[in-house]
Amino acid sequence: MNRGTPSDRSTRIGVLLAVGLLAPVLMNAQIDRSAPPKPGPAPAVDLGEHHTFTLKNGFRVIVVENHKLPMVNVQVRFDIPPIVQGEKAGYIDFLGDLLASGTATRTKAQMDEQVDQLGATLAATNDGLYASSLKKNLPALMTLVQDVVTGPTFQETEFEKVRTRTRSAIQQRKEEPDAIAEVVGRAVTYGRVHPYGEVMTERTLESISTKHIKAYYDLFFRPEKGYLVFVGDITEKEAKDLAQEHFGGWRPDRPVTSMNDDGSESMEGLGKVRIMPKLATPGGVRRVFVVDRPGSPQSVVRVGFPLNLQPRDIRALSAQVLNTILGGGVFNARLMQNLREDKGWTYGAYSTMESDRFNGHFQASVSVRTAVTDSAVAEIIKELERLRNEPVSDEELDLAKRYMAGSFARGLEDPRTVARFALNTYLNELAPDHYATYLERLEGITTVDVQAAAQAFLHPDQAIILVVGDLASFDVELAALSRDRSNPIMQLDENGAPWEEDITPVTDRKAEDIIEGYLKAIGGRNLVGQVKDMHRVMTVQRGDKELKVSEWFGPDGHYRSETTLGDQRTELLVHDGLRAGRTDAQGQVELTDVDLQDLQFNAVPVRESDLVGRLDRMVLAGRTEVEGKDAYKVILMTQHGTTVADYFDVATGLKVKRVEQKFMNGSNQRITTTYGDHRSVGGVQFPYRIGQTGGTLGRVQFTVTELDVNKGVLPALFTTGLPPIVEPTEFETDPDGYNGIEGQ
Amino acid sequence: MRNLMTIPLATMLAAPAVAQSRAITYTEFDLDNGLHVILHEDHSTPIVAVSVMYHVGSKNETKDRRGFAHFFEHLLFEGSENIGRGEFSKHVEKAGGVLNANTTGDRTYYYEVLPSNQLELGLWLESERMLHAKVDQKGVDTQREVVKEERRQRYENQPYGSILIEVLKRAYTVHPYQWPTIGFMEDLNAASETDYVNFYKQFYVPNNAVLVVAGDIDPTTCKALVGRYFGDIPRGKEVVQPTAIEPPLKGVIRDVIHDRIQLPAVVTAYRIPANGTKEFYAVDLVNRLLSNGNSSRLNVALKEEQQKAVYVGAFSLPFEHPGLAIHFAIANAGVDVVELERAMDSELGRIQKLGVPEAELAKLKAQLETEYIADNSRVAGVANNLATAYTMLGGTEQVNTELDKYLAVTVEELRQAAVDHFSTNDRVVLHYLPLSQKQP
Repeated sequence: MNRGTPSDRSTRIGVLLAVGLLAPVLMNAQIDRSAPPKPGPAPAVDLGEHHTFTLKNGFRVIVVENHKLPMVNVQVRFDIPPIVQGEKAGYIDFLGDLLASGTATRTKAQMDEQVDQLGATLAATNDGLYASSLKKNLPALMTLVQDVVTGPTFQETEFEKVRTRTRSAIQQRKEEPDAIAEVVGRAVTYGRVHPYGEVMTERTLESISTKHIKAYYDLFFRPEKGYLVFVGDITEKEAKDLAQEHFGGWRPDRPVTSMNDDGSESMEGLGKVRIMPKLATPGGVRRVFVVDRPGSPQSVVRVGFPLNLQPRDIRALSAQVLNTILGGGVFNARLMQNLREDKGWTYGAYSTMESDRFNGHFQASVSVRTAVTDSAVAEIIKELERLRNEPVSDEELDLAKRYMAGSFARGLEDPRTVARFALNTYLNELAPDHYATYLERLEGITTVDVQAAAQAFLHPDQAIILVVGDLASFDVELAALSRDRSNPIMQLDENGAPWEEDITPVTDRKAEDIIEGYLKAIGGRNLVGQVKDMHRVMTVQRGDKELKVSEWFGPDGHYRSETTLGDQRTELLVHDGLRAGRTDAQGQVELTDVDLQDLQFNAVPVRESDLVGRLDRMVLAGRTEVEGKDAYKVILMTQHGTTVADYFDVATGLKVKRVEQKFMNGSNQRITTTYGDHRSVGGVQFPYRIGQTGGTLGRVQFTVTELDVNKGVLPALFTTGLPPIVEPTEFETDPDGYNGIEGQ
Repeated sequence: MRNLMTIPLATMLAAPAVAQSRAITYTEFDLDNGLHVILHEDHSTPIVAVSVMYHVGSKNETKDRRGFAHFFEHLLFEGSENIGRGEFSKHVEKAGGVLNANTTGDRTYYYEVLPSNQLELGLWLESERMLHAKVDQKGVDTQREVVKEERRQRYENQPYGSILIEVLKRAYTVHPYQWPTIGFMEDLNAASETDYVNFYKQFYVPNNAVLVVAGDIDPTTCKALVGRYFGDIPRGKEVVQPTAIEPPLKGVIRDVIHDRIQLPAVVTAYRIPANGTKEFYAVDLVNRLLSNGNSSRLNVALKEEQQKAVYVGAFSLPFEHPGLAIHFAIANAGVDVVELERAMDSELGRIQKLGVPEAELAKLKAQLETEYIADNSRVAGVANNLATAYTMLGGTEQVNTELDKYLAVTVEELRQAAVDHFSTNDRVVLHYLPLSQKQP
């Protein structure tokens, strides 16, 4: 599996960079360079303080005073539960774009102009806004903040502008691997009907109207659900005055809602508001999802699962320590050390353990070069298993704890952190001293706690694996990591829906025309019909050995193929026109039923020249693309019940691809064969480059090295070696159920 | 569409500005070996930033070793005579700190942010890196692969990710700015042990570096510690910076790039004066006028009024030698690139012909003032700004005078800068089109 390991040379080859002989000048007795200097006494960490008060309308205000810089940050945040948006998925995201896009007193242009004139920032989100300015401009900024929060008008013209841009953005997203991984990653982790997994698509975008956005705003942007946060160069008194002036009189009408029997709430204009969806938790078996990007130089990999992990869960902190050790920000985390520093497969590997009061999740993420995609997934799974099965070392635990303690202290450099702590304490219903005791609680975490957290919150066997990359380059290997035998790899589109080929209907021709065109392209029905026998050899290098397939096509369906790896014959397949046998290391088996009929269908030089009586139906599905080129897709439904899809290049008429579904080794397999480098032999074009994925040989790209037509083939080649069938001429049925065998 | 901006451009935004009223205080001195040291004292949080900026970037590379400076940055985390492979970051993280580095065309910057009682650790680590860094073959081989993945992730597997690379190779013909900092993999593959040793000897010397310590420190103690850790590092040979002078762009270099994108884009690039020059600030204000804030010219005209674009941006690449302004717009679905280019040009033309009202210039200046405060709100940011001012802008005090240079620009100078440096007759124009529009 370790394809792509940069080098096995682990021994040091010596000092590459040591420059000059510096020993003499280092005799300075004052410093010992051989070990890191000892730290001084640890500085005290000052958590800072905040004040809170509530306006008469229920709006809560948090103030953090910090006069170091003449700046004030303002945040407005409404406490909104996640809701299912359904067929209008995405409308909530419009809120951020539309809040500051026109109010009762200002057009969007006026609003933008005034914010910029103040040198301020003002960014609305779907649950509030962030703003900042120099202290001297705060009164003017607050007027704008008030206007955006209490007076948006959701103008149709602005809405349509945002919709147009969003339409473009959805289109553009399809070419952004990271964005695809983000959107589809949430969809597969939580499911597409969960508020965290819903995907805005071209279709849902068109169902959204300002009515939905307005209703959502009316329902959730309310003083009793809101927080107003001031941080910076401001006193509590100033904050009180500003809050009272701009929000004290805000008493919006209560929207009319009704309760449904199922406990959900309905609202005029918005329909049903399901307040809390079903909690997503890890379950089922490990599954693999792929968004195919042919030719992608890297694979964007996500391995995750949903979690029931609340911020106030007593194990939440051990879970964060666990995640730091695994991949949460430190360079010495296991994923980074393994995938980057040891293997050199990636620029960076990370993990997040997201506690969330509604539904948390875990996710490991990495972008790796295509060739090591499955190996990277396997390593991630291995790291999850290792954390469940073995305690972490004291050294790793110590590093993680000290790093987290350091981050906590560093974070306090920004006064907004103190405000964030206060807001989190309210929103997540944390203990009042949650942050005050943080460092102490962190210090108390042991390797036992970390392993317990791993067993509670890491689920390698239920992992949901998503890869955005070149599917054909890793499909076989990646499928092996799936535990879903019926559908080892589920191919999705860029919106996280089951993948469907992009087919444009064709009305001006039929499947028969395409087949005729193909025969014409390879030399014409006449010449093709003259091919009586054929011998073909194709090879590919497998490690230091040659994989070779030699085939002989004789008259009347006679066929032989020999597969060798080096000087070892791995498979022999012979069809004598009636019966067929396959011999491999396990011995010989006779092919029967569909397997035999499939062989009979396929084992001819050019099947298209003689389809009479072999097909149930033939359909031209339409036009699509194969490796960036236009192709017709023709579906052949055979008499014996199988279906294959053939793709013919629109420009050249040549067959470029075949896709078959087969049930093999206990699971459904999709076998894709590609054809290229057509060359003429006796006036007929044959492919000299034949690639296949999903078959018994895994992924191969063969080069044809010999191809002879009508040179004659020895009849002896087609001896199957199968034991003769003893056909009883008559059946004597014994009334007792015995078959005429009596006595010995 | 926030993520549409590609990293390579985003990280090259114009240098920060400075306000007189909020001067950053510092002390500075040189060690005998030529190392310049800047100390900034701020006790608000018990942390300290220790950083070193070496005056070496991709413009110091030879044409057959493109990307070497950045690759070298990766290698210098591998260890030293006293620090084994992988231990460098461990020392920092075990102390509760963070570390990182970055490389541009002009300089390479390393930093740690640590609890203030670990100041000496930071000095030890950076002095080890400067005195006797060490890399083994496994480190070289691994980091070469890591850099290849960095290139794939940032430039090759991102829509519009190749913009900077495509622009630079057309905008420069003789200056080493013609290749990107990330470089080319064939050159890194070709690098040998001699290259590493020579590069280190030539550029990683105290007389080519500035050490900045910012945060919860006592300057007197800190100065003594700096002397102990760095004083004995031998001075290197004088570093010779490249002297190539790029002739002016004459004419329009126009090209079409087919990329894995859905929405076409227009990129225009103009050659601009070096960072720190008087003209640079006027030019940068033209760019800010075009795309800084929702009420900026391109945002209002292209996104809101005409709805031709989903994203617009105008940036100055603040290079030490004459750099570039890059204008970039991504078309709304169905909008033709020619039409989009014309709309962009029309906004530029308006500035050139009609200039800019005083009020609008005042708005830009208000934005700069706020940005300056925010940019210096953390010790890590202050350290970076001090190092940049010293290395790139001609002196540490520039950290306190840069904002004034912006504020001094008049409406007439701004208009003149638009005329002088944004000629639609002398520029690079790239149309990014979806691969599906490529003629077979």
